[in-house]
Amino acid sequence: MATTDDLIANLVDELRPVRRMRQAQGLWLIAAAIGLGVAVVLLSLGLRPDLAAGRLDPIFLMGSGSFLILGLAAAVTVVIMGRPQVGTDHRGWLWAAAMATVLPLAALITGIAAGPATALARSAPDHGLTCLLVGSALGLMPALLLVAWLRRGAPTSPERAGLITGVAAGCFGIFAVSLYCPYNDIMHIGLWHSLVVVTCAAAGRAVIPRLIRW
Amino acid sequence: MIADEATLARLMAMAQNGDRQAYAALLAACSQWLMRFYRRRVAPHSCDDLVQETLMSLHQKLASYDPERPFLPWLAAIARYRWVDHLRKLYRADETGFDSEPIAASEEPAIAARISLAQLFQYLSPAQARAIELVKIEGLSVAQAAVACGQSESLVKVNIHRGLKKLAALIEKD
Repeated sequence: MATTDDLIANLVDELRPVRRMRQAQGLWLIAAAIGLGVAVVLLSLGLRPDLAAGRLDPIFLMGSGSFLILGLAAAVTVVIMGRPQVGTDHRGWLWAAAMATVLPLAALITGIAAGPATALARSAPDHGLTCLLVGSALGLMPALLLVAWLRRGAPTSPERAGLITGVAAGCFGIFAVSLYCPYNDIMHIGLWHSLVVVTCAAAGRAVIPRLIRW
Repeated sequence: MIADEATLARLMAMAQNGDRQAYAALLAACSQWLMRFYRRRVAPHSCDDLVQETLMSLHQKLASYDPERPFLPWLAAIARYRWVDHLRKLYRADETGFDSEPIAASEEPAIAARISLAQLFQYLSPAQARAIELVKIEGLSVAQAAVACGQSESLVKVNIHRGLKKLAALIEKD
């Protein structure tokens, strides 16, 4: 290996002005990630009838709102992780995750009370599978945007960054799908919509670290 | 003499704008700072290599520094990441002697203590810290470390594995 002085001389020769990674850029990236998914759903699948008619179901509002807030918390954490600093805490998103866990828990409790057959019927499995597939596919776009951000940056915990990116991607994907999905039953939202987030989080944890390691 | 936080931050901001003179001064100061930062947490013969690897990482990740934030905690995060990566790759070092100078001594002792490598070790269990120090830093074999710390060989391996995993998750913790 060359001496440190030689290395420094080479690095100085290679220096070019850099475009700094600013927090605002990261926030715009998040807005783009949400906007893209919503645009794809509205243009290809259309708005759900009750929303189009101006009726807002409370379960829909709570479900979609929880996923959007969790997605925002996770995505902001990813943006922060791109710009490392000793003394930064990356656990804030966990509170939003704990809050969103109420949805599958409510589905579980409701399902136990109703019995397995009724619970499965109420979850609308055929449509649920569509939500799972479309939501996960839509999660790819935000995932790619956030991975691009992390590749420019210096995430010091690639495994955790991959997991949180997956959570954000899944939340944004299912938030977009929820604007089309006409089901308001907690069984459907708590099971199938939550499953999108879990699936994307697992995929993010498995795949993304090798893309962002430096 | 190691430059102070404000000077380093100013040099870094100038370097991000393409100022080569400032960049040369910054890298020279960083190499000294890193040498102190790593001392006693890396086998001496590996210290130069690790400092150079960290300088290359700094070069590749210049854009990730925000001039509105302190510089040393950013540099320390990069340095800790390279250090944990180094420990993971390392199976055996040849030398065991260490410099007795204090770790990460600088003009900002409070900052230095907060971002030092020693600070990370306090989050490990004593058995994990000891196993990593003996095998990954002092360069003993697993068998020698087992004798030295009174653990079985398999326990030493488990402690190293779990300790490194924990360190990797704690890089930005102060």
